[in-house]
Amino acid sequence: MTDQEAGRVDRVVMRDIRKRYGMVDALRGVTLRVGPGEVVGLVGDNAAGKSTLMKVLAGAVVPDSGEIVFDGRPVSFASPKDARELGIEMVYQDLALCDDIDVAGNLFLGREPRKAGGMMLDVRKMHADARRHLDALNIRIPLTDIPVGGLSGGQRQAVAIARAVTFGPKLLILDEPTAALAVAEVETVLELIKTVSAQDVSVILITHRLQDLFRVCDRLCVMYEGTLRADLDAQNTSLERLVSEIVAHDEGEKEGRRR
Amino acid sequence: MTATRTGTSQRVVTTRSARANAHIGRHAQTIAIAVVLVVLLIFFAFSADRFATTGNLLNLLRQIAPTLVVATAMTFVISTSGIDLSVGSTVALSGSLLAIVLQHGWNPTLALVAILALGALIGFVNGWFSSYQNIPPFIVTLAMLSIMRGTALRATEGYSTPIDGDLWIVQIGQGRIAGVPVPAILAVIIALVGWLVLTRTPFGRYVIGLGSNGESLRRTGVNTRKVGLTVYVLTGLAAAIAGVLIATRLSSGSSNAGTGFELEVITAVVLGGTSLFGGRASMLGTILGALTLGVIANGLVLLHVSPFYVQIVQGGILLLAIFANSKVWARFGAIRK
Repeated sequence: MTDQEAGRVDRVVMRDIRKRYGMVDALRGVTLRVGPGEVVGLVGDNAAGKSTLMKVLAGAVVPDSGEIVFDGRPVSFASPKDARELGIEMVYQDLALCDDIDVAGNLFLGREPRKAGGMMLDVRKMHADARRHLDALNIRIPLTDIPVGGLSGGQRQAVAIARAVTFGPKLLILDEPTAALAVAEVETVLELIKTVSAQDVSVILITHRLQDLFRVCDRLCVMYEGTLRADLDAQNTSLERLVSEIVAHDEGEKEGRRR
Repeated sequence: MTATRTGTSQRVVTTRSARANAHIGRHAQTIAIAVVLVVLLIFFAFSADRFATTGNLLNLLRQIAPTLVVATAMTFVISTSGIDLSVGSTVALSGSLLAIVLQHGWNPTLALVAILALGALIGFVNGWFSSYQNIPPFIVTLAMLSIMRGTALRATEGYSTPIDGDLWIVQIGQGRIAGVPVPAILAVIIALVGWLVLTRTPFGRYVIGLGSNGESLRRTGVNTRKVGLTVYVLTGLAAAIAGVLIATRLSSGSSNAGTGFELEVITAVVLGGTSLFGGRASMLGTILGALTLGVIANGLVLLHVSPFYVQIVQGGILLLAIFANSKVWARFGAIRK
Protein backbone atom coordinates (compact mmCIF):
# COMPACT_ATOMS: atom_id res chain seq x y z
CA MET A 1 0.00 0.00 0.00
CA THR A 2 2.66 2.48 0.99
CA ASP A 3 5.97 2.75 -0.78
CA GLN A 4 8.91 2.19 1.48
CA GLU A 5 11.23 5.01 0.50
CA ALA A 6 14.80 4.51 1.62
CA GLY A 7 14.80 7.67 3.67
CA ARG A 8 11.49 7.10 5.38
CA VAL A 9 11.52 6.26 9.07
CA ASP A 10 10.20 2.85 9.98
CA ARG A 11 7.13 2.81 12.22
CA VAL A 12 8.71 0.18 14.40
CA VAL A 13 11.92 -1.84 14.45
CA MET A 14 12.37 -4.69 16.92
CA ARG A 15 16.00 -5.73 17.14
CA ASP A 16 17.38 -8.98 18.55
CA ILE A 17 14.47 -9.57 20.93
CA ARG A 18 15.02 -12.45 23.34
CA LYS A 19 12.66 -13.98 25.92
CA ARG A 20 13.02 -17.16 27.91
CA TYR A 21 10.35 -18.83 30.06
CA GLY A 22 12.10 -21.23 32.41
CA MET A 23 13.68 -23.80 30.13
CA VAL A 24 11.87 -22.66 27.01
CA ASP A 25 13.50 -20.16 24.68
CA ALA A 26 10.39 -18.47 23.37
CA LEU A 27 12.28 -15.83 21.38
CA ARG A 28 15.88 -16.35 20.30
CA GLY A 29 16.90 -12.98 18.89
CA VAL A 30 14.12 -11.79 16.58
CA THR A 31 14.43 -8.71 14.38
CA LEU A 32 11.27 -7.31 12.79
CA ARG A 33 10.64 -4.09 10.88
CA VAL A 34 7.30 -2.52 9.96
CA GLY A 35 6.85 0.64 7.87
CA PRO A 36 4.08 3.22 8.20
CA GLY A 37 0.83 1.98 6.69
CA GLU A 38 2.39 -1.36 5.95
CA VAL A 39 0.48 -4.59 6.58
CA VAL A 40 2.80 -7.34 7.73
CA GLY A 41 1.59 -10.89 8.05
CA LEU A 42 3.29 -12.76 10.88
CA VAL A 43 3.02 -16.48 10.39
CA GLY A 44 4.53 -19.59 11.85
CA ASP A 45 3.49 -22.88 13.36
CA ASN A 46 2.11 -23.10 16.87
CA ALA A 47 4.69 -22.18 19.52
CA ALA A 48 6.89 -20.43 16.94
CA GLY A 49 6.88 -17.33 19.15
CA LYS A 50 4.48 -15.08 17.22
CA SER A 51 2.22 -14.25 20.11
CA THR A 52 5.09 -13.73 22.53
CA LEU A 53 6.82 -11.36 20.10
CA MET A 54 3.64 -9.35 19.72
CA LYS A 55 3.04 -9.26 23.47
CA VAL A 56 6.53 -7.78 23.78
CA LEU A 57 5.61 -5.12 21.24
CA ALA A 58 2.35 -4.40 23.07
CA GLY A 59 4.11 -4.11 26.42
CA ALA A 60 2.33 -7.12 27.95
CA VAL A 61 5.59 -9.10 28.13
CA VAL A 62 8.95 -7.56 29.05
CA PRO A 63 11.75 -9.11 26.95
CA ASP A 64 14.97 -10.37 28.52
CA SER A 65 17.00 -8.36 26.01
CA GLY A 66 16.64 -6.56 22.72
CA GLU A 67 15.77 -3.12 21.42
CA ILE A 68 12.54 -1.54 20.18
CA VAL A 69 12.65 1.61 18.06
CA PHE A 70 9.31 3.33 17.48
CA ASP A 71 9.09 6.18 14.96
CA GLY A 72 12.87 6.50 15.11
CA ARG A 73 13.09 6.68 18.92
CA PRO A 74 14.28 3.85 21.17
CA VAL A 75 11.51 2.91 23.59
CA SER A 76 10.96 0.41 26.38
CA PHE A 77 7.64 -0.71 27.77
CA ALA A 78 7.09 -1.59 31.40
CA SER A 79 3.36 -2.11 30.90
CA PRO A 80 0.74 -2.18 28.13
CA LYS A 81 -0.03 1.39 29.07
CA ASP A 82 3.39 2.58 27.86
CA ALA A 83 2.89 0.91 24.48
CA ARG A 84 -0.64 2.22 24.22
CA GLU A 85 0.46 5.78 24.87
CA LEU A 86 2.70 5.55 21.80
CA GLY A 87 -0.23 4.29 19.74
CA ILE A 88 0.32 0.54 19.73
CA GLU A 89 -2.94 -1.38 20.05
CA MET A 90 -3.26 -5.14 20.23
CA VAL A 91 -6.24 -7.41 19.81
CA TYR A 92 -5.49 -10.62 21.63
CA GLN A 93 -6.22 -14.12 20.46
CA ASP A 94 -8.16 -14.92 23.62
CA LEU A 95 -10.35 -11.84 23.06
CA ALA A 96 -9.53 -10.22 26.39
CA LEU A 97 -13.02 -8.92 26.97
CA CYS A 98 -14.76 -8.76 30.34
CA ASP A 99 -17.88 -10.89 29.91
CA ASP A 100 -19.76 -9.19 32.73
CA ILE A 101 -19.23 -5.67 31.39
CA ASP A 102 -21.41 -4.29 28.61
CA VAL A 103 -20.35 -3.54 25.03
CA ALA A 104 -19.69 0.16 25.58
CA GLY A 105 -17.82 -0.56 28.81
CA ASN A 106 -15.54 -3.02 27.08
CA LEU A 107 -14.89 -0.63 24.19
CA PHE A 108 -13.67 2.02 26.61
CA LEU A 109 -12.18 -0.21 29.31
CA GLY A 110 -9.22 1.53 30.90
CA ARG A 111 -9.96 4.91 29.29
CA GLU A 112 -13.60 5.60 30.02
CA PRO A 113 -15.06 9.02 29.27
CA ARG A 114 -15.27 10.81 32.58
CA LYS A 115 -17.07 13.73 34.13
CA ALA A 116 -17.10 15.55 37.46
CA GLY A 117 -13.36 16.14 37.23
CA GLY A 118 -12.50 12.56 36.36
CA MET A 119 -14.30 11.13 39.36
CA MET A 120 -17.33 9.68 37.62
CA LEU A 121 -17.97 7.67 34.46
CA ASP A 122 -19.78 9.56 31.74
CA VAL A 123 -22.03 6.63 30.92
CA ARG A 124 -24.20 8.49 28.44
CA LYS A 125 -21.23 9.73 26.43
CA MET A 126 -19.74 6.24 26.57
CA HIS A 127 -22.81 4.67 24.98
CA ALA A 128 -23.15 7.44 22.39
CA ASP A 129 -19.48 7.17 21.42
CA ALA A 130 -19.68 3.38 21.32
CA ARG A 131 -22.64 3.54 18.96
CA ARG A 132 -20.80 6.00 16.71
CA HIS A 133 -17.62 3.89 16.61
CA LEU A 134 -19.46 0.65 15.90
CA ASP A 135 -21.46 2.26 13.11
CA ALA A 136 -18.31 3.78 11.59
CA LEU A 137 -16.79 0.30 11.42
CA ASN A 138 -19.98 -1.33 10.12
CA ILE A 139 -20.14 -3.58 13.15
CA ARG A 140 -23.71 -4.66 13.73
CA ILE A 141 -24.42 -4.79 17.42
CA PRO A 142 -27.80 -3.12 18.01
CA LEU A 143 -27.40 -2.60 21.74
CA THR A 144 -24.37 -1.30 23.58
CA ASP A 145 -25.74 -1.95 27.08
CA ILE A 146 -25.70 -5.75 27.08
CA PRO A 147 -22.82 -7.68 28.69
CA VAL A 148 -20.49 -9.05 26.01
CA GLY A 149 -20.90 -12.49 27.56
CA GLY A 150 -24.31 -12.56 25.86
CA LEU A 151 -22.90 -11.94 22.36
CA SER A 152 -21.91 -14.39 19.66
CA GLY A 153 -18.25 -15.19 19.04
CA GLY A 154 -18.14 -13.02 15.94
CA GLN A 155 -19.71 -10.09 17.71
CA ARG A 156 -17.27 -10.44 20.58
CA GLN A 157 -14.33 -10.46 18.18
CA ALA A 158 -15.76 -7.40 16.45
CA VAL A 159 -15.98 -5.60 19.78
CA ALA A 160 -12.38 -6.54 20.56
CA ILE A 161 -11.17 -5.21 17.19
CA ALA A 162 -13.31 -2.10 17.45
CA ARG A 163 -11.80 -1.40 20.84
CA ALA A 164 -8.33 -1.30 19.31
CA VAL A 165 -9.19 0.49 16.06
CA THR A 166 -11.41 3.27 17.33
CA PHE A 167 -8.72 5.00 19.32
CA GLY A 168 -6.62 5.88 16.30
CA PRO A 169 -3.57 3.66 16.82
CA LYS A 170 -0.36 4.06 14.80
CA LEU A 171 0.30 0.34 14.91
CA LEU A 172 -2.40 -2.27 15.21
CA ILE A 173 -1.56 -5.84 16.15
CA LEU A 174 -4.21 -8.44 15.37
CA ASP A 175 -3.63 -11.88 16.88
CA GLU A 176 -5.81 -14.42 15.04
CA PRO A 177 -8.60 -11.89 14.46
CA THR A 178 -10.51 -14.10 12.05
CA ALA A 179 -10.11 -17.47 13.76
CA ALA A 180 -13.57 -17.54 15.32
CA LEU A 181 -15.46 -15.68 12.62
CA ALA A 182 -18.05 -16.65 10.04
CA VAL A 183 -17.11 -16.16 6.39
CA ALA A 184 -18.97 -12.88 6.06
CA GLU A 185 -17.38 -11.53 9.21
CA VAL A 186 -13.90 -12.43 7.92
CA GLU A 187 -14.60 -10.23 4.90
CA THR A 188 -15.56 -7.39 7.21
CA VAL A 189 -12.33 -7.71 9.16
CA LEU A 190 -10.18 -7.85 6.02
CA GLU A 191 -11.93 -4.75 4.69
CA LEU A 192 -11.33 -3.14 8.05
CA ILE A 193 -7.60 -3.90 7.83
CA LYS A 194 -7.40 -2.32 4.35
CA THR A 195 -9.27 0.78 5.52
CA VAL A 196 -7.04 1.18 8.53
CA SER A 197 -3.75 0.73 6.68
CA ALA A 198 -4.86 3.22 4.00
CA GLN A 199 -4.91 5.77 6.82
CA ASP A 200 -1.17 5.21 7.37
CA VAL A 201 -1.73 2.87 10.31
CA SER A 202 0.68 -0.05 10.34
CA VAL A 203 -0.87 -3.45 10.88
CA ILE A 204 0.69 -6.70 12.03
CA LEU A 205 -1.60 -9.61 11.34
CA ILE A 206 -1.09 -13.00 12.95
CA THR A 207 -3.20 -15.69 11.37
CA HIS A 208 -3.31 -19.32 10.41
CA ARG A 209 -5.67 -18.54 7.54
CA LEU A 210 -2.96 -18.18 4.92
CA GLN A 211 -5.41 -17.21 2.18
CA ASP A 212 -6.22 -14.03 4.14
CA LEU A 213 -2.59 -12.95 4.13
CA PHE A 214 -2.29 -12.58 0.38
CA ARG A 215 -5.43 -10.45 0.33
CA VAL A 216 -4.22 -7.72 2.64
CA CYS A 217 -0.50 -8.06 3.41
CA ASP A 218 2.47 -6.22 1.92
CA ARG A 219 5.07 -8.45 3.55
CA LEU A 220 5.03 -11.88 5.14
CA CYS A 221 7.35 -12.67 8.04
CA VAL A 222 7.73 -16.32 8.93
CA MET A 223 8.75 -17.37 12.42
CA TYR A 224 10.14 -20.75 13.31
CA GLU A 225 11.02 -21.92 16.82
CA GLY A 226 11.70 -18.49 18.24
CA THR A 227 13.52 -17.01 15.25
CA LEU A 228 12.49 -15.03 12.20
CA ARG A 229 13.05 -17.51 9.39
CA ALA A 230 11.96 -15.55 6.33
CA ASP A 231 10.87 -12.05 5.30
CA LEU A 232 8.91 -12.34 2.07
CA ASP A 233 7.27 -9.92 -0.33
CA ALA A 234 3.60 -10.87 -0.41
CA GLN A 235 3.26 -9.95 -4.11
CA ASN A 236 5.98 -12.30 -5.30
CA THR A 237 5.46 -15.26 -2.99
CA SER A 238 3.43 -18.34 -3.68
CA LEU A 239 1.32 -20.16 -1.12
CA GLU A 240 3.56 -23.21 -1.56
CA ARG A 241 6.67 -21.22 -0.77
CA LEU A 242 5.04 -19.74 2.33
CA VAL A 243 3.93 -23.12 3.63
CA SER A 244 7.36 -24.64 3.14
CA GLU A 245 8.93 -21.75 5.07
CA ILE A 246 6.42 -22.20 7.90
CA VAL A 247 7.12 -25.89 8.33
CA ALA A 248 10.83 -25.33 7.67
CA HIS A 249 11.00 -27.84 4.86
CA ASP A 250 12.42 -27.10 1.45
CA GLU A 251 9.85 -29.10 -0.45
CA GLY A 252 7.32 -31.87 0.04
CA GLU A 253 5.20 -32.98 3.02
CA LYS A 254 4.30 -29.32 3.38
CA GLU A 255 0.59 -29.80 3.84
CA GLY A 256 1.07 -32.60 6.32
CA ARG A 257 1.73 -30.53 9.41
CA ARG A 258 -0.73 -27.78 8.73
CA ARG A 259 -3.98 -29.47 9.62
CA MET B 1 -20.56 -5.09 4.48
CA THR B 2 -23.18 -6.49 2.12
CA ALA B 3 -22.72 -9.87 3.69
CA THR B 4 -23.47 -8.65 7.19
CA ARG B 5 -26.56 -6.83 6.00
CA THR B 6 -28.28 -10.08 5.11
CA GLY B 7 -28.00 -11.27 8.67
CA THR B 8 -29.29 -8.09 10.26
CA SER B 9 -32.87 -9.03 11.08
CA GLN B 10 -31.82 -12.34 12.51
CA ARG B 11 -29.16 -10.73 14.63
CA VAL B 12 -31.47 -8.11 16.10
CA VAL B 13 -33.71 -10.89 17.34
CA THR B 14 -30.88 -12.79 19.00
CA THR B 15 -29.48 -9.73 20.71
CA ARG B 16 -32.89 -8.65 21.98
CA SER B 17 -33.39 -12.02 23.60
CA ALA B 18 -29.80 -11.92 24.79
CA ARG B 19 -30.50 -8.59 26.41
CA ALA B 20 -33.70 -9.82 27.99
CA ASN B 21 -31.88 -12.85 29.35
CA ALA B 22 -28.98 -10.78 30.52
CA HIS B 23 -31.23 -8.33 32.31
CA ILE B 24 -33.31 -11.00 33.99
CA GLY B 25 -30.18 -12.94 34.83
CA ARG B 26 -28.44 -9.92 36.28
CA HIS B 27 -31.34 -8.87 38.43
CA ALA B 28 -33.03 -12.20 39.12
CA GLN B 29 -31.38 -12.75 42.44
CA THR B 30 -31.85 -9.17 43.58
CA ILE B 31 -35.54 -9.50 42.72
CA ALA B 32 -35.67 -12.83 44.55
CA ILE B 33 -34.13 -11.46 47.73
CA ALA B 34 -36.46 -8.46 47.56
CA VAL B 35 -39.43 -10.87 47.39
CA VAL B 36 -38.07 -12.88 50.34
CA LEU B 37 -37.65 -9.66 52.32
CA VAL B 38 -41.20 -8.50 51.59
CA VAL B 39 -42.61 -11.91 52.53
CA LEU B 40 -40.66 -11.87 55.80
CA LEU B 41 -41.80 -8.30 56.54
CA ILE B 42 -45.44 -9.24 55.98
CA PHE B 43 -45.06 -12.43 57.99
CA PHE B 44 -43.51 -10.72 61.00
CA ALA B 45 -45.87 -7.73 60.76
CA PHE B 46 -48.82 -10.05 61.28
CA SER B 47 -47.26 -12.51 63.71
CA ALA B 48 -45.19 -10.24 65.98
CA ASP B 49 -47.13 -7.45 67.67
CA ARG B 50 -44.38 -4.90 68.02
CA PHE B 51 -42.56 -5.65 64.75
CA ALA B 52 -44.20 -3.11 62.46
CA THR B 53 -43.66 -0.11 64.70
CA THR B 54 -41.45 2.84 63.79
CA GLY B 55 -39.45 2.31 66.95
CA ASN B 56 -38.72 -1.31 66.17
CA LEU B 57 -37.87 -0.71 62.52
CA LEU B 58 -35.45 2.08 63.45
CA ASN B 59 -33.98 -0.23 66.06
CA LEU B 60 -33.62 -2.90 63.38
CA LEU B 61 -31.75 -0.45 61.16
CA ARG B 62 -29.42 0.36 64.02
CA GLN B 63 -28.82 -3.33 64.63
CA ILE B 64 -27.82 -4.09 61.07
CA ALA B 65 -25.78 -0.89 60.58
CA PRO B 66 -22.37 -2.52 61.25
CA THR B 67 -23.25 -5.44 58.96
CA LEU B 68 -24.41 -3.11 56.20
CA VAL B 69 -21.30 -0.92 56.43
CA VAL B 70 -18.92 -3.86 56.10
CA ALA B 71 -21.12 -5.67 53.56
CA THR B 72 -20.89 -2.60 51.33
CA ALA B 73 -17.10 -2.87 51.32
CA MET B 74 -17.23 -6.66 51.11
CA THR B 75 -19.28 -6.37 47.93
CA PHE B 76 -16.24 -4.76 46.31
CA VAL B 77 -13.90 -7.48 47.57
CA ILE B 78 -16.16 -10.33 46.47
CA SER B 79 -16.69 -8.65 43.09
CA THR B 80 -12.96 -8.99 42.47
CA SER B 81 -13.41 -12.71 43.31
CA GLY B 82 -11.65 -12.11 46.63
CA ILE B 83 -12.82 -12.61 50.20
CA ASP B 84 -12.03 -10.93 53.51
CA LEU B 85 -12.45 -13.15 56.57
CA SER B 86 -10.62 -10.81 58.92
CA VAL B 87 -13.38 -8.18 59.29
CA GLY B 88 -14.88 -9.72 62.46
CA SER B 89 -11.52 -9.67 64.24
CA THR B 90 -10.86 -6.15 63.00
CA VAL B 91 -14.19 -5.11 64.53
CA ALA B 92 -13.07 -6.57 67.89
CA LEU B 93 -9.60 -5.00 67.72
CA SER B 94 -10.78 -1.54 66.68
CA GLY B 95 -13.55 -1.49 69.32
CA SER B 96 -11.20 -2.69 72.04
CA LEU B 97 -8.40 -0.29 71.16
CA LEU B 98 -10.84 2.60 70.90
CA ALA B 99 -12.03 1.93 74.45
CA ILE B 100 -8.47 1.50 75.72
CA VAL B 101 -7.04 4.67 74.21
CA LEU B 102 -10.07 6.66 75.41
CA GLN B 103 -9.45 5.30 78.89
CA HIS B 104 -5.87 6.56 78.56
CA GLY B 105 -7.32 10.00 78.01
CA TRP B 106 -6.87 10.36 74.25
CA ASN B 107 -8.85 13.04 72.51
CA PRO B 108 -11.90 11.21 71.06
CA THR B 109 -11.43 12.75 67.60
CA LEU B 110 -7.79 11.68 67.52
CA ALA B 111 -8.75 8.21 68.78
CA LEU B 112 -11.38 7.88 66.07
CA VAL B 113 -8.96 8.89 63.32
CA ALA B 114 -6.29 6.55 64.68
CA ILE B 115 -8.70 3.59 64.81
CA LEU B 116 -9.91 4.19 61.25
CA ALA B 117 -6.29 4.47 60.08
CA LEU B 118 -5.51 1.21 61.85
CA GLY B 119 -8.41 -0.50 60.05
CA ALA B 120 -7.17 0.80 56.71
CA LEU B 121 -3.65 -0.42 57.57
CA ILE B 122 -4.95 -3.93 58.36
CA GLY B 123 -6.74 -3.87 55.02
CA PHE B 124 -3.54 -2.69 53.34
CA VAL B 125 -1.65 -5.69 54.72
CA ASN B 126 -4.41 -8.03 53.52
CA GLY B 127 -4.38 -6.39 50.12
CA TRP B 128 -0.61 -6.34 49.77
CA PHE B 129 -0.32 -10.08 50.40
CA SER B 130 -3.34 -10.98 48.25
CA SER B 131 -2.91 -8.59 45.36
CA TYR B 132 0.82 -7.92 45.12
CA GLN B 133 2.08 -11.30 46.34
CA ASN B 134 -0.70 -13.39 44.79
CA ILE B 135 -1.37 -15.35 47.97
CA PRO B 136 -5.00 -16.55 48.01
CA PRO B 137 -7.00 -13.95 49.98
CA PHE B 138 -8.81 -16.75 51.80
CA ILE B 139 -5.50 -17.76 53.43
CA VAL B 140 -4.21 -14.23 53.99
CA THR B 141 -7.38 -13.00 55.67
CA LEU B 142 -7.79 -16.24 57.63
CA ALA B 143 -4.34 -15.62 59.09
CA MET B 144 -5.24 -12.00 59.79
CA LEU B 145 -8.47 -13.16 61.46
CA SER B 146 -6.37 -15.09 63.94
CA ILE B 147 -3.72 -12.39 64.38
CA MET B 148 -6.23 -9.58 64.97
CA ARG B 149 -8.39 -11.56 67.38
CA GLY B 150 -5.27 -12.54 69.30
CA THR B 151 -4.08 -8.94 69.38
CA ALA B 152 -7.48 -7.79 70.68
CA LEU B 153 -7.44 -10.45 73.39
CA ARG B 154 -3.88 -9.54 74.37
CA ALA B 155 -4.68 -5.81 74.47
CA THR B 156 -7.73 -6.27 76.69
CA GLU B 157 -6.60 -9.39 78.56
CA GLY B 158 -10.08 -10.63 77.78
CA TYR B 159 -11.90 -7.95 79.77
CA SER B 160 -14.35 -5.44 78.38
CA THR B 161 -13.17 -1.84 78.61
CA PRO B 162 -15.89 0.73 79.41
CA ILE B 163 -16.21 3.94 77.41
CA ASP B 164 -17.13 7.11 79.30
CA GLY B 165 -20.71 7.99 78.32
CA ASP B 166 -19.99 11.73 78.53
CA LEU B 167 -17.62 11.69 75.56
CA TRP B 168 -19.12 12.92 72.29
CA ILE B 169 -17.93 9.79 70.53
CA VAL B 170 -20.64 7.61 72.11
CA GLN B 171 -23.15 9.61 70.07
CA ILE B 172 -21.87 7.72 67.01
CA GLY B 173 -23.42 4.56 68.41
CA GLN B 174 -26.23 5.94 70.56
CA GLY B 175 -27.19 9.32 69.14
CA ARG B 176 -30.23 10.12 67.09
CA ILE B 177 -30.78 12.78 64.46
CA ALA B 178 -34.47 13.66 64.04
CA GLY B 179 -35.28 10.43 65.81
CA VAL B 180 -33.22 8.25 63.47
CA PRO B 181 -30.27 6.40 65.04
CA VAL B 182 -26.92 7.78 63.88
CA PRO B 183 -25.55 4.29 62.98
CA ALA B 184 -28.50 3.79 60.61
CA ILE B 185 -27.85 7.15 58.95
CA LEU B 186 -24.14 6.41 58.62
CA ALA B 187 -24.82 2.93 57.20
CA VAL B 188 -27.29 4.21 54.63
CA ILE B 189 -24.90 6.98 53.53
CA ILE B 190 -22.01 4.53 53.23
CA ALA B 191 -24.14 2.04 51.28
CA LEU B 192 -25.29 4.79 48.89
CA VAL B 193 -21.73 6.01 48.36
CA GLY B 194 -20.70 2.38 47.80
CA TRP B 195 -23.43 1.96 45.22
CA LEU B 196 -22.35 5.16 43.46
CA VAL B 197 -18.70 4.14 43.44
CA LEU B 198 -19.44 0.62 42.20
CA THR B 199 -21.76 1.61 39.38
CA ARG B 200 -20.70 5.11 38.38
CA THR B 201 -16.95 5.44 38.77
CA PRO B 202 -13.98 4.06 36.83
CA PHE B 203 -12.80 2.37 40.03
CA GLY B 204 -16.08 0.47 40.36
CA ARG B 205 -15.81 -0.53 36.72
CA TYR B 206 -12.28 -1.86 37.30
CA VAL B 207 -13.41 -3.81 40.37
CA ILE B 208 -15.98 -5.63 38.21
CA GLY B 209 -13.43 -6.04 35.41
CA LEU B 210 -10.88 -7.49 37.81
CA GLY B 211 -13.33 -10.15 38.91
CA SER B 212 -14.61 -10.76 35.40
CA ASN B 213 -11.32 -10.98 33.50
CA GLY B 214 -8.39 -9.53 35.39
CA GLU B 215 -5.88 -10.22 32.64
CA SER B 216 -8.01 -8.33 30.14
CA LEU B 217 -8.15 -5.37 32.48
CA ARG B 218 -4.39 -5.48 33.05
CA ARG B 219 -3.75 -5.48 29.32
CA THR B 220 -5.78 -2.31 28.89
CA GLY B 221 -3.22 -0.62 31.11
CA VAL B 222 -5.17 -0.49 34.38
CA ASN B 223 -3.07 -1.03 37.51
CA THR B 224 -5.01 -4.11 38.59
CA ARG B 225 -2.83 -4.74 41.65
CA LYS B 226 -3.67 -1.33 43.03
CA VAL B 227 -7.38 -1.97 42.45
CA GLY B 228 -7.03 -5.37 44.14
CA LEU B 229 -5.28 -3.80 47.13
CA THR B 230 -7.72 -0.91 47.47
CA VAL B 231 -10.75 -3.14 47.99
CA TYR B 232 -9.11 -4.70 51.07
CA VAL B 233 -8.30 -1.24 52.43
CA LEU B 234 -12.03 -0.53 52.04
CA THR B 235 -13.06 -3.62 54.05
CA GLY B 236 -10.44 -2.85 56.70
CA LEU B 237 -11.70 0.70 57.00
CA ALA B 238 -15.34 -0.44 57.03
CA ALA B 239 -14.58 -3.03 59.73
CA ALA B 240 -12.99 -0.31 61.88
CA ILE B 241 -16.10 1.86 61.40
CA ALA B 242 -18.25 -1.12 62.41
CA GLY B 243 -16.04 -1.67 65.44
CA VAL B 244 -16.51 1.95 66.49
CA LEU B 245 -20.28 1.71 65.93
CA ILE B 246 -20.56 -1.42 68.08
CA ALA B 247 -18.24 -0.24 70.86
CA THR B 248 -19.88 3.19 71.15
CA ARG B 249 -23.37 1.70 71.07
CA LEU B 250 -22.51 -0.62 73.96
CA SER B 251 -20.27 1.98 75.67
CA SER B 252 -17.69 -0.74 75.93
CA GLY B 253 -14.90 -2.25 73.86
CA SER B 254 -14.76 -6.03 73.92
CA SER B 255 -12.26 -8.40 72.35
CA ASN B 256 -15.14 -10.85 71.86
CA ALA B 257 -17.11 -8.49 69.63
CA GLY B 258 -17.69 -9.49 66.03
CA THR B 259 -17.33 -13.24 66.46
CA GLY B 260 -18.79 -14.77 63.30
CA PHE B 261 -19.37 -11.26 61.98
CA GLU B 262 -17.43 -11.98 58.77
CA LEU B 263 -19.80 -14.83 57.94
CA GLU B 264 -22.87 -12.68 58.50
CA VAL B 265 -21.40 -10.03 56.18
CA ILE B 266 -20.52 -12.54 53.47
CA THR B 267 -24.01 -14.06 53.80
CA ALA B 268 -25.59 -10.63 53.24
CA VAL B 269 -23.46 -10.03 50.14
CA VAL B 270 -24.08 -13.44 48.61
CA LEU B 271 -27.80 -13.31 49.41
CA GLY B 272 -27.95 -10.11 47.38
CA GLY B 273 -26.71 -11.83 44.26
CA THR B 274 -23.04 -10.87 44.16
CA SER B 275 -21.13 -13.79 42.68
CA LEU B 276 -18.41 -15.38 44.81
CA PHE B 277 -16.56 -15.97 41.54
CA GLY B 278 -16.37 -12.24 40.91
CA GLY B 279 -17.54 -10.04 38.07
CA ARG B 280 -21.17 -9.85 39.11
CA ALA B 281 -22.19 -7.48 41.86
CA SER B 282 -25.33 -5.85 43.18
CA MET B 283 -25.04 -3.20 45.87
CA LEU B 284 -28.83 -2.99 46.10
CA GLY B 285 -28.82 -6.76 46.62
CA THR B 286 -26.28 -6.40 49.42
CA ILE B 287 -28.50 -3.83 51.15
CA LEU B 288 -31.51 -6.13 50.79
CA GLY B 289 -29.44 -9.10 51.97
CA ALA B 290 -28.32 -7.26 55.11
CA LEU B 291 -31.92 -6.14 55.75
CA THR B 292 -33.16 -9.70 55.36
CA LEU B 293 -30.69 -11.01 57.94
CA GLY B 294 -31.66 -8.18 60.29
CA VAL B 295 -35.39 -8.81 59.86
CA ILE B 296 -34.95 -12.52 60.59
CA ALA B 297 -32.95 -11.85 63.75
CA ASN B 298 -35.26 -9.08 64.95
CA GLY B 299 -38.51 -10.83 64.05
CA LEU B 300 -37.62 -14.15 65.62
CA VAL B 301 -36.62 -12.44 68.86
CA LEU B 302 -39.96 -10.59 68.92
CA LEU B 303 -41.72 -13.92 68.40
CA HIS B 304 -39.88 -15.18 71.50
CA VAL B 305 -38.19 -17.84 69.45
CA SER B 306 -34.93 -19.01 70.98
CA PRO B 307 -32.13 -16.80 69.59
CA PHE B 308 -30.23 -19.96 68.77
CA TYR B 309 -32.65 -20.51 65.90
CA VAL B 310 -31.60 -17.25 64.28
CA GLN B 311 -28.33 -18.67 63.02
CA ILE B 312 -30.04 -21.84 61.83
CA VAL B 313 -32.58 -19.88 59.82
CA GLN B 314 -29.95 -17.49 58.41
CA GLY B 315 -27.76 -20.42 57.36
CA GLY B 316 -30.72 -22.21 55.79
CA ILE B 317 -31.64 -19.13 53.78
CA LEU B 318 -28.06 -18.75 52.59
CA LEU B 319 -27.99 -22.34 51.40
CA LEU B 320 -31.30 -21.86 49.59
CA ALA B 321 -30.04 -18.66 47.97
CA ILE B 322 -26.86 -20.32 46.69
CA PHE B 323 -28.91 -23.26 45.45
CA ALA B 324 -31.26 -20.94 43.59
CA ASN B 325 -28.26 -18.99 42.30
CA SER B 326 -26.61 -22.00 40.72
CA LYS B 327 -29.64 -24.09 39.69
CA VAL B 328 -32.56 -21.80 38.97
CA TRP B 329 -31.10 -18.49 37.83
CA ALA B 330 -28.39 -20.20 35.79
CA ARG B 331 -31.15 -20.81 33.25
CA PHE B 332 -31.28 -17.08 32.64
CA GLY B 333 -27.57 -16.88 32.04
CA ALA B 334 -26.84 -15.46 35.45
CA ILE B 335 -23.94 -17.85 35.96
CA ARG B 336 -21.36 -18.11 33.28
CA LYS B 337 -18.46 -19.57 35.16
